[in-house]
Amino acid sequence: MTKLAVANLCVDIGNKRIVDDFSLTITTGQWLCIIGPNGAGKSTALKALAGVVPSSGVLLIDDRDLSAMKVRDRACWISYVAQDPIMPVGMSVFDYVLLGRTAHLNLLATESNYDLETTENILQELALDSFKNRSLDSLSGGERQRVAIARALTQQSPILLLDEPTTALDIGYQQDVLDLINRLRKDKKIAVITTMHDLTVAGIYPDELLLLANGQIVAQGSALEVLTVERIAHYYGARVRVIIDDGKPLVLPEHMDRQA
Amino acid sequence: MIATVKRVSSFSIAVCAVAIILSILLATCIGAVGIAPSDVFASIAWHLRIPFTDQSVGTSDVIIWQLRLPRVILAFVVGSMLASAGAAYQGTFRNPLADPYLLGVSAGAGLGATLIIVTGSNPNQYLVPFGSFLGAITAVALTYTLGRSAIAGRSSTALILAGVAVANLLTALQTLIQQQHNDRIREVYSWVLGTLNTTGWSDVRLVTPYICICLVVLYRYRRVLDVFGVGDEEAQTMGLPVERVRATVIIAASLGTAAAVSVTGLIGFVGVIVPHVLRLFVGNSFRILVPLSIVFGGIFLVFADLLARTVLAPAEIPIGIVTALIGAPFFLYVLGSRRVGGIS
Amino acid sequence: MFKKSVAVALAVVALGASTSATSSTNAATAKPFPVTISNYGQSLTFTKSPTRIISLSPTATEILFSIGSGSKVVAVDNQSNYPSSAPRTSLSGYTPNIESILNYNPDLVVVSYDPGDLVSSLRNAGVKVLMQDAASTLNDSYSQIVQLGKITGRLTSANAVVWNMKKKITLALTSVPSRATGLTFYHELDDNYYSVTSSTFIGQLYTMTGLVNIADTADGAEWGYPQLSGEYIISKNPSFIFLADSKCCSQSRTTLKARPGFKNIAAVKRNHTFILDDDIASRWGPRTASLLQSIVYDIKFFLKTNY
Repeated sequence: MTKLAVANLCVDIGNKRIVDDFSLTITTGQWLCIIGPNGAGKSTALKALAGVVPSSGVLLIDDRDLSAMKVRDRACWISYVAQDPIMPVGMSVFDYVLLGRTAHLNLLATESNYDLETTENILQELALDSFKNRSLDSLSGGERQRVAIARALTQQSPILLLDEPTTALDIGYQQDVLDLINRLRKDKKIAVITTMHDLTVAGIYPDELLLLANGQIVAQGSALEVLTVERIAHYYGARVRVIIDDGKPLVLPEHMDRQA
Repeated sequence: MIATVKRVSSFSIAVCAVAIILSILLATCIGAVGIAPSDVFASIAWHLRIPFTDQSVGTSDVIIWQLRLPRVILAFVVGSMLASAGAAYQGTFRNPLADPYLLGVSAGAGLGATLIIVTGSNPNQYLVPFGSFLGAITAVALTYTLGRSAIAGRSSTALILAGVAVANLLTALQTLIQQQHNDRIREVYSWVLGTLNTTGWSDVRLVTPYICICLVVLYRYRRVLDVFGVGDEEAQTMGLPVERVRATVIIAASLGTAAAVSVTGLIGFVGVIVPHVLRLFVGNSFRILVPLSIVFGGIFLVFADLLARTVLAPAEIPIGIVTALIGAPFFLYVLGSRRVGGIS
Repeated sequence: MFKKSVAVALAVVALGASTSATSSTNAATAKPFPVTISNYGQSLTFTKSPTRIISLSPTATEILFSIGSGSKVVAVDNQSNYPSSAPRTSLSGYTPNIESILNYNPDLVVVSYDPGDLVSSLRNAGVKVLMQDAASTLNDSYSQIVQLGKITGRLTSANAVVWNMKKKITLALTSVPSRATGLTFYHELDDNYYSVTSSTFIGQLYTMTGLVNIADTADGAEWGYPQLSGEYIISKNPSFIFLADSKCCSQSRTTLKARPGFKNIAAVKRNHTFILDDDIASRWGPRTASLLQSIVYDIKFFLKTNY
């Protein structure tokens, strides 16, 4: 069991504070979701955790200081998939997923048989082995997202950061990807932190929600606790109804006529 | 076309080695002066101390061993360097149009060479290579410093912009100086257009060590070049120290390119054409593109030089013109006859 | 051998002809102006000698000073390095600046090359321009000297200069030992192995001595200035090498020996290599005669010491 603890994380870009006093704790097996309106700083907070934007604050993994780690060591603890991951043109799915082994390889080394096997296994687990020889450019949106997650999984890190993993996917693919994440964090004991802008989906899958507005955490807790009509109206400027179904809050937008 | 991780097998190494040796021998058999292949082989064999061979005497031995062979070998080494440096730049910058001169190597080398040519009354034959090497290295260092200190944009874009600025500045300076010294203009131009005309073993000895070291570095970094393909941010989260590795690759590629252009002048097109044509055949993984660029970049330049020195023999076509004249149409042909999606 | 005798005979005939020309024109010097000459389709009339001459041609500069018209020259281009008394300026014959030229208030500009619209611009500004482009024969050279003599009122001196040249050349050619005939040579213009054929001005000088030019069989384009290759030169194995690139390209006997394979060339082995003055070898003025003299001197010297 691994624990990631973040305290007083701040990110400044130019003179503007994008993320302010951000704190969270997560252990393996949990799924935490950062929500918030556009421009709230969700993606920036996730990038700060991934270490790709400079930040101040405390980042501890099992009491080890993440910010003092070398890039490669840090990658062994935390993996990250961008919102729209760049896929090298003309590269095969297998070669791409194999790149995830970088964290475990010396810079000048080439992959061992163990690395190849690990990659094969992950492709199989994600039902991707049938098109491992396909070119990345031939993939559909849902396939791309699965392949990107597979690449992050070959990194075999206990913490997985996913920026908007379901944006731009049809509902069927959304469900595929969300089910996959859910299965992985349970089976593989991975701590998953995602950002999402779809509140309905965010209400159903993750264990815990963290509502970010103007870079600050304004609410934290279970979906039922965080997703209230008042908060959504205040922070998103949206008229919604929240229906409780099977213990999960369903956020529905409300038509202007009905409110009157 | 898309395959799984390609491992460099001993069979493919053998095939490449044979291809290299055959093209070098073929190019050595043909030249401005007709010499029978048997004389060519006899001459080479004797100089290589192969047992039971006799010293061939006279002009043909001099021409083969002291002129043609060093020239062919230099062409190979320089071609390898330019092509693999091109591939390396394309990888680290994720920019298919990147070539070895992206960061101002050519402009710096041109300025350095011009300065030596116009001020030099010193008959030292190594002075022009030295000047152009120094100029090239200075240009890349300048680009890198400027690109790193630029606030705007991600660092690879800032670097490319800095390279454009530095190249323009140095080219303007070079033109200015050249303008002030009209009497030396032909020498400057003949350097700029690239020449292997006066190559001997001394040039080969001068640059091959540097180029070999740089080639080894680029070869060892071939897997890492693939990681750059996912973008700087993700590459870093995957454990790649992006800035440091990029700096290393840039230094190796630039040093090697600077060494190459210092003895041959500016030879364009090899760095762009060779990796791209290879990409159309073997896919987009640098693990194979780098080694194949080393092999086929060298072979390409050997044949380009062969044309340069035979078509109008005994006169020469500047090799830079041959690489562009042959390279561009060939590239367009391959592009047209293959799946267009393979590039971009 | 035959070739050489013909050349000598021709030179002697020319010498005689010009001597008589000198005497006949002397009568005319009584009334030298106005002078009208035809120059590249333009008719130029001088009512008196120009007094503010600009020369953008190093050869014309040499001619003007040799015929005693140097005092009328107000500016010469940056390449006109002979004689040293010539008023050298930063004016360029390759990239001329019309304003700077006009600033000298010239009444005659002599050029050997018309980059862009130099000539027409100067003529539009009311300045007389005399074009004297590269001579292709010695006779061209002589007539350019005489032409400048006429224009500047120094015809007698000009004829004397020509006569002197012819004398030097004739004497030099008659002294070439007969065994020089048929020996091969390579004349180098720069270190990329550009050379000249016998059809060029400088190439003709060599032909007169009876030497055989290795570049003659390599001029596919018949341009007169073929580029050779190291291989070609080595395979031709010339007996003499003349370097006309010691100034431009820092070439010397040492650099020649250091070139790959060159040690095996007969000329290099026997030290039959000879440095020419780049400037003299690329001009067609009065010093051409001295150039031929020194070429002949070296042929003789080498043949004496080495055979």
